Amino acid sequence: MTVSFAADRNNRSIQNDRWLADLLGAEPGVALVAVGGYGRRELLPRSDLDVLLLHDGRDGIAEIADRIWYPVWDSGAHLDHAVRTVPQARRVARNDLKVALGLLSARHVAGSTDLTESLRAGALTDWREAAPTRLGELHEACEERAKSSGELAFLLEPDLKEARGGLRDVHAIQAVAAAWVAPAPGPKVRAAYEQILDARHALHEVTGRRVDRLVLQEQDEVARVLGLLDGDVLLRMLAGAARTISYAADHVFRQAERAHGKRRRRRAERRPLADGLVSQDDEVVLARAADPESDPVLVLRAAATAAQAGLPLAPRTLARLAECPPLPVPWPGPARDALFALLGAGHAAVGVWEALDQEGLITMLIPDWERVRNRPQRNPLHRFTVDRHLVETAANAAALTREVARPDLLLLAALLHDIGKGWPGDHSVSGEVVARDVCHRIGLAQADAELVAAAARHHLLLPLAATRRDLDDPVTVRQVASAVGSRTLLELLHALAIADALATGPAAWNDWKATLIADLVGRTAAVLAGEPVPAPAPLRDDQLELLSSRDPAVIVRRVEPAQGVAGAAAQGAEVTVVAPDRPGLLWRAAGILASHRLAVRSANATSVGTTAVSVFDVAPEFGELPDATVLAGDLRRMLEGRLDVAGRLDRRARAVAPRGPGIPAPKVTLIDDASDTATVVEVRAHDAPGLLWRVGRALGDCGLDVRAARVETLGAEVVDVFYVTGGDGKPLLDQELRRQTTTAVLNVLS
Amino acid sequence: MRLITAVIKPFKLNDVKAALQAFGVHGMTVTEASGYGRQRGHTEVYRGAEYQVDLVPKVRVEVLCDDEDAEDLIGVVVKAAQTGRIGDGKVWSVPVESVVRVRTGERGPDAI
Repeated sequence: MTVSFAADRNNRSIQNDRWLADLLGAEPGVALVAVGGYGRRELLPRSDLDVLLLHDGRDGIAEIADRIWYPVWDSGAHLDHAVRTVPQARRVARNDLKVALGLLSARHVAGSTDLTESLRAGALTDWREAAPTRLGELHEACEERAKSSGELAFLLEPDLKEARGGLRDVHAIQAVAAAWVAPAPGPKVRAAYEQILDARHALHEVTGRRVDRLVLQEQDEVARVLGLLDGDVLLRMLAGAARTISYAADHVFRQAERAHGKRRRRRAERRPLADGLVSQDDEVVLARAADPESDPVLVLRAAATAAQAGLPLAPRTLARLAECPPLPVPWPGPARDALFALLGAGHAAVGVWEALDQEGLITMLIPDWERVRNRPQRNPLHRFTVDRHLVETAANAAALTREVARPDLLLLAALLHDIGKGWPGDHSVSGEVVARDVCHRIGLAQADAELVAAAARHHLLLPLAATRRDLDDPVTVRQVASAVGSRTLLELLHALAIADALATGPAAWNDWKATLIADLVGRTAAVLAGEPVPAPAPLRDDQLELLSSRDPAVIVRRVEPAQGVAGAAAQGAEVTVVAPDRPGLLWRAAGILASHRLAVRSANATSVGTTAVSVFDVAPEFGELPDATVLAGDLRRMLEGRLDVAGRLDRRARAVAPRGPGIPAPKVTLIDDASDTATVVEVRAHDAPGLLWRVGRALGDCGLDVRAARVETLGAEVVDVFYVTGGDGKPLLDQELRRQTTTAVLNVLS
Repeated sequence: MRLITAVIKPFKLNDVKAALQAFGVHGMTVTEASGYGRQRGHTEVYRGAEYQVDLVPKVRVEVLCDDEDAEDLIGVVVKAAQTGRIGDGKVWSVPVESVVRVRTGERGPDAI
């Protein structure tokens, strides 16, 4: 590319200036003023032209406006126009924050320079005089915007302008600076701003439209236009820029508050907090006696003190902390203790960590952090980048430290559990190695380091086994117990699973998962204590009662959310279906449930004599739970062959929005070691109504019987797990049959 | 057959109605509507309001006609509704598959 983006924007502004000046011609008593982005000479390919026609109250202004606006409209350009006298413009700005901000970047384009100058001077005076209230309004508007648009650094499809850390936050910083309350944005923030502005520029070029949201399908192309490798590199760059901006904006607003708010004091009081650290003006600063150059532990002590006190570290203190010499390896005990105190502060630690990160102090402490820093997670389940997810997990884990024997190891395991995501391959495997290295670096005892490394290695074990394996199958519990090996690690993994899921996103955690994991942990703990593998829960009385009746019957039981489980409480129910045993009953019944808009999460079949009792865990997709008698009626008709479940589900599938492009192909895996009595068929596919039924039918067509099923929905993806046996009631051994099964399942999914 | 829809300035409704009657149109449907176009609802060139999109009151006129009349009818509506100022509106036409007069059950062009 021969012309830089910034030069291109500037050229566009100059061209428009000339055009508008020609349209205005020589007129006394009027001026054309560029405001907003045009005022800053930041015209992107599809930007609005924000133009103010300023006049001194002369006659014939409407004709002049016609002469300028109509050609602009006819050119197809987007115009935001206004015609005002200087006092009118100042009055509007006093009542409208957006207009006031626009005027701060007012720039003379054509006509009377005196008019423009008097507007600029007047608008700035007004802004400075009203700063105590205006800056409060501005801060509120920024927070409102952050709430509705989210944080640029962590969104998969961020709005480059409106999101927190986006372009508007820099305009806000500039506005605070214009009120003489804080310095203008520094070089770091300006560079970050240019990066985001260039990305927005490229986005306009790629889409040919005036859009600010960087959606997934544009990311690779935008990256290419910017000369970056791919969308991941782009998102990582944007995350870094956005974090720099939001950190700066937070600091600027704190300064504004201190200058105007209630916190104003004649002489700030200094209160000692820890060795070498005091609080002043609601910030943690270095004590006069502190000596960063000879105190390597000071960084962590300051961070821990700030997090425990719930106060931010003052920026000049952070800058001085960067002078601390590196910690010796392995770390001395006080440094380790300070790290645990920092992480143990819970969510107060997140802001402090972010501040250390902005100063590059985190990667000095833990060099391996660099590889997860700002790394995007291309997964709709995740709401944060990898590094922020790790810090959030540690913050969540702080609330669970009472549940485990080793709170310190829990915090560290939470901080390191995904550290392997910076390396190729399975992140649990590489994470174990990296976590062990980090543990040695910080001077943990060998046995403790092994525990943390094992926690990183197995952090997905409990959630995956609980949601994708049959807990009643003795092999499930036996395998988990042998992988975990000790009660201490089991506790750690349990707390880590909760903290991890809560830090992932709303879809990653619900009552159902909480209950399943707690159940698995209970069973595993029993096995670790030397007790036999617990037997499956016996049928309840109301279920047994149905057995006596000859007819097919159904019970629907609402499952109340368990007490004290944090996160989204997904409404759920348990449906018991009792009917004469026959192959394929389980998936057929699942089809009926799906046709009643119930999402099946798990299914288990038990035989009592010639009768089968199938228990389903379901969640209504929307609306209320269906009535048991209606379900029983459908079941009876289906068993008599009078109900077209396939037709019903097809109609529903057609009503579902069609799939977008780029959906990965479904995948089918046969797993032999997950059970002694059945083969586990794991199906990964795009979610669709009645998936369990369709796959079940395909398995049935191959002459297989489904004993149990688990369905885990991960955003738009599902993982279906089937425990199947051949016609002889044994696991599938015949290679030809296994191949047929895989093909049959793939066929119904394509 | 075609359906012609015109979104016009409310005070131009009488002119449009008269012009359509003179052309020989026997019926039309008129609804009150609101919306905005390229000027984002700014009704005057000389005041304007930055960053604000207003919905401006409009009238929506719908007329069914034969295919061969469609272009002429559009011309008639445009001529009658034009002021040359911003916000004059738009006129468009779409094909119509079938039309039934409810009282008699007549179908197709007879029902227009």
